[in-house]
Amino acid sequence: MIRRHLQVCLILLLLIYSTQALAETFSGYAEAKGFAYSERSNSRDPWVLGWGTLFNKWEQKLGETQLTASLRGEWISSDEQGPLLFDLADRHIRRPPFSVQDLWVRMPLAPDLDLQLGRFQLGWGKTDGYSPADAFLPRDLTDPFSDEKLPLWALRLTGQKSAWRYEAVVCPVTTPWRLPVLGSRNAPFKAEGFPPATAFQEVETSPPDIGFAALRLLYTFGEWDLGVWGRTGVRPAPLLDFRFDRAISGTSGLTIPVDRRYAKEEGVGIELSRIIGAWILRGEIAGLFSRDRDLGDGVIGSLSAEKGFGDGTLLITLAGNTKEPAVDQALLFDRAILPALITAWNRTEEWGEWKLVWTTGLRRGDGLLKGEAGYNITDVWKVTLGVELPYGSTEGPFGALNDARRVHLALRRSW
Amino acid sequence: MQKEKTPVGIITSLALVSFLTLLYTATAWCADARALLKESENRHRTKTQQYAGNLAVVNKEGKVRKKGWKSFRQGYAGDAKTLTRFTDPPEVKGVGFLSISRTPGQNADQWLYLPSMKRERRIATQDRDASFVGTDFNYEDMEEFDHEKHKVALQGEQTVDGQPCYVITAIPLESSGKSVYEKRILYLRKDILYLLREDLYLKENKQPSKIFILSDLQHVDGHWVAKKWEMSDLKKGSKTTVILKEIAFDKPQPAGRFTLQNLNREGGD
Repeated sequence: MIRRHLQVCLILLLLIYSTQALAETFSGYAEAKGFAYSERSNSRDPWVLGWGTLFNKWEQKLGETQLTASLRGEWISSDEQGPLLFDLADRHIRRPPFSVQDLWVRMPLAPDLDLQLGRFQLGWGKTDGYSPADAFLPRDLTDPFSDEKLPLWALRLTGQKSAWRYEAVVCPVTTPWRLPVLGSRNAPFKAEGFPPATAFQEVETSPPDIGFAALRLLYTFGEWDLGVWGRTGVRPAPLLDFRFDRAISGTSGLTIPVDRRYAKEEGVGIELSRIIGAWILRGEIAGLFSRDRDLGDGVIGSLSAEKGFGDGTLLITLAGNTKEPAVDQALLFDRAILPALITAWNRTEEWGEWKLVWTTGLRRGDGLLKGEAGYNITDVWKVTLGVELPYGSTEGPFGALNDARRVHLALRRSW
Repeated sequence: MQKEKTPVGIITSLALVSFLTLLYTATAWCADARALLKESENRHRTKTQQYAGNLAVVNKEGKVRKKGWKSFRQGYAGDAKTLTRFTDPPEVKGVGFLSISRTPGQNADQWLYLPSMKRERRIATQDRDASFVGTDFNYEDMEEFDHEKHKVALQGEQTVDGQPCYVITAIPLESSGKSVYEKRILYLRKDILYLLREDLYLKENKQPSKIFILSDLQHVDGHWVAKKWEMSDLKKGSKTTVILKEIAFDKPQPAGRFTLQNLNREGGD
């Protein structure tokens, strides 16, 4: 099995490399990244972590048809990577060393109507800090601070008629959220009433085969932008089922199996933004309906204000959910941080760029401070230094990550 | 019987004549500036333009950053639509910029597409003095200059790069939308009425903040075009040079090129 996956990876890599001469463009990067932590939640958490990435992207245009393929190879020094070398559908619980980030074709069906087919990433939300329109898209939380979206296997139609834009997405298969190792510093779930040495055994539960369908309409008029969207299908964020009934007592302590299940959910949302002076003000509201008793319904809203400062932006977002969830909110992932105030400031300088993000959980008063500065050594070499500091009550979604405080240093060579 | 003029009467008459002459001249110059700019627009107006640009951004320490973009324009000046897509370096590859002129009195609509976000970001009018993707151009500089949105006056003549030029001041009209500049001084080459230099004054600045120089003029597809642009930011001490290649005029542009849908096409032009 592993050998077969390795062969597929090597063939894809070779295909990408061998088409370099024919390709219109070929790009990518190699990055070495190191993390140093100030705390550990258990003896399995490493003090330092290494992360190496090799990413290659190939893009070709045949007339008006666009072909894109990219492959990412990774090495992580911890046990965050699973036994599989390659997971084409991206449906297993651990991040594989090789992954296809893009494998899609886009062709025009008419001058103002495109069909995109394959594996690609979507970005729907207008509110960069927190957007209900984006929340249904799968994320990889292997690194809980990187906010990485997972690509989807999907079919997408996009079009424009005068000031109207429309987009329809059919995702035939669920790409589930990927979570950090449960019980590690990145997902420090506590089993209430059980001994401290209690461990979790994550069960590879197969996500549902069906995915979701979504439709979005956007209208631009003068200083205003209006959007409406609706979707139906499987929610990609799992609901964790702690199987205390199947707990196993061993010499090293108690082990609790954890299953994953996926609820169906329907959602509708409205987004409205307007330029007022130097600011862009946005508001979004979404109604989310589920018949699952643990997930329940949600009415999630966000308000944001964005302003350009030099070659950068300041974005302030306030987001909240008016419905109280039936289970511990931390188990709902995309809704775990709500209500929250998110302030993000980034800027490009002559020497590189920097960004500061301060997220405050308004329920427990905990939060996360992130800072990063990237220095361009040359046009293709870049060094980045960053820090992630969760703080506050360990009952809150950020304070719970106190043991994941860290600094990181990365060196990247792009081409 | 003719009344004899007193010295006071003669001086008054002379002053009146001088004032009227000055008034006439000023009016004529003003009219001339508009006429010159209209004639310049008539001569150089093209239906479309496209080129590939090689950029070099040199900061005050002399450090050079290279970038590349492809640019497409449809229309001209007040009815222009432009699409710019970065091709180099890897960190900005795919970044797209769309500017669509609006009716007089309104600023152009502008959007920036960031591949990392997979979506566009709208540029607020008052953000238009921000640096455009690390260059010395700002978002307003990326719009086509439209003299109809300015009060213009001919100031005289001056030589630029060995070429006699008309010197014209252009002050943005309040009714034509907001501008980040208080004043522009345009240097229009006399023989072909082509812009060779622009001094750009930010608000409350007595000295130009930026100087835009166009050189290496060549005749392409029956049109004059400057193949070298230099934008110097005098405050920052930096300079961006753009070398234009693969220039083409009046080439039909695909339907829908200047739309938000196209701006959001990953890997597209």
